Amino acid sequence: MQYMILVYEPEEAYATADGQAKLKDIVAKHMALAAELKAQGVQKDGGGLQGTETATTIATNNGQQTLHDGPFAETREHLGGYYLIDVPNLDDAIAIARRVPVIDGGKVEVRPLIVH
Amino acid sequence: MRRFGQAISAARPRVVAALAGRLRDLDLAEDAFADACASALVAWPNQAPRDPAAWLWRAALRRAIDAKRRAAVRDRAVLDPPEPEPTPEEALMAAHQPIPDERLKLIFVCCHPALAPDARAALTLKVVCGLSTERLARAFFMAEPAMLQRITRAKRKIAGAGVPFEVPAREAWPERLDAVLATLEIAYAQAYEDAALAAGDIAPFAAEVLRLSGLLVELVPEEPEVLGLAALVRFAEARRPARLDDAGAMVSPSEQDAALWRGDLIAEGARLLDRAADLARSGPRQILATIHATHCARAETGFTDWPAIAALYEVLAQVRPHAATAVNRAVAVGEARGAEAGLAELAKIEGVEDWLPYQAARAALSAKAGRREEAQDAYRAALALEPAAAERRYLEAQLRRCAQRL
Repeated sequence: MQYMILVYEPEEAYATADGQAKLKDIVAKHMALAAELKAQGVQKDGGGLQGTETATTIATNNGQQTLHDGPFAETREHLGGYYLIDVPNLDDAIAIARRVPVIDGGKVEVRPLIVH
Repeated sequence: MRRFGQAISAARPRVVAALAGRLRDLDLAEDAFADACASALVAWPNQAPRDPAAWLWRAALRRAIDAKRRAAVRDRAVLDPPEPEPTPEEALMAAHQPIPDERLKLIFVCCHPALAPDARAALTLKVVCGLSTERLARAFFMAEPAMLQRITRAKRKIAGAGVPFEVPAREAWPERLDAVLATLEIAYAQAYEDAALAAGDIAPFAAEVLRLSGLLVELVPEEPEVLGLAALVRFAEARRPARLDDAGAMVSPSEQDAALWRGDLIAEGARLLDRAADLARSGPRQILATIHATHCARAETGFTDWPAIAALYEVLAQVRPHAATAVNRAVAVGEARGAEAGLAELAKIEGVEDWLPYQAARAALSAKAGRREEAQDAYRAALALEPAAAERRYLEAQLRRCAQRL
């Protein structure tokens, strides 16, 4: 089964000098985890996202599309990156999601893909 | 008929679990079992089966495989060639083998931590014990459609998110077992509350939780917290016959007639707790069970060892801090060292003003301390928090008594 692991983190957490040091550390951990999952054939895709200041949202209302500068929801935590994995079941997906590095206050969501 | 009903209830966990394991579909497993039960009630009065569980398993499996085949044919329209025939034989082959014991897997699925705790409790009682949605709705104080939705959503998540039908791996065991125990605790708390509401109707619900906790002991006999929880449920359940007076009002534990307590359940609880102690790994359920055991000891000794109970709550508060523990500890201190000492402990607890057990404890301790104004104030506060009928009657009687003495 395929699962998307979505990584949410408070954006401002990396803004400080201390945060920058943490970022370096967390990125290194992401690389190591991704390399391991790829070697096992578990990871199908994955990546980090640039900051929400680079986001553009397309809203559709009454059939009309309008563009907005910014993410779809202004929340403290933003979507920072994702992993797409293929594992037998939710327990295996959760076991991997637990290993995804996040800064304090971060959240990791596990969502199965629709099975066709 | 009653005999058949009991045979069906007894067979249910094993048969439904085996069906779920084979079909990988809780709804289909439940439906197939219900169909088999309906056939059983027709067939059994003429010829009682030697092994009811095996009979139900065979009948349900045949039904389920038929249903699956029909659905497959329907969904596939005419594009595929028809299924070759071996499926019914396969079904029969499987049906003549002993029923696989998948009960533990089923419990772990229904109690998966990816499900909300309340949903786990409802789902487990529905799927494993076979309680109806209507019965569960009443026990959880919910409307039936809301309960149905809760159960349906949980099943959908299990199927959609790929919750595995497996006993968890060793490294996940502690967390997963804890989720199972927490689920049973919620279920029992509901059964207990429920009991106070309608005395005639509760026995089935509490009996199911009693049986479920016993089943878990059978399936994982070496887990002290499982033993502790099973013991706890038995000690609490032993006192049920004394919990209500003739007028349907709650009787506080220390005023209950110990002669009404069920000695068989107390003895069973004590045996379970001994087994837990032998495994020498303490935990919150064992501590709580020991507190209950200490209460139950009054049936033998004629008195309640309040200092011991206060000390046990103290330990419990460290292991698992909770407002209920703090309130119960204050009550025990009030009995062990005097009402003023209890009130002093109660005053240290924060943010519980709108919580019924707190106001009830404050009322009782204030009355005991002779602070009648405060006691009346607390009884009124407690009554304003919508207690269940039995507790309301009790609180009203206490309030009247307090007012008369003024």
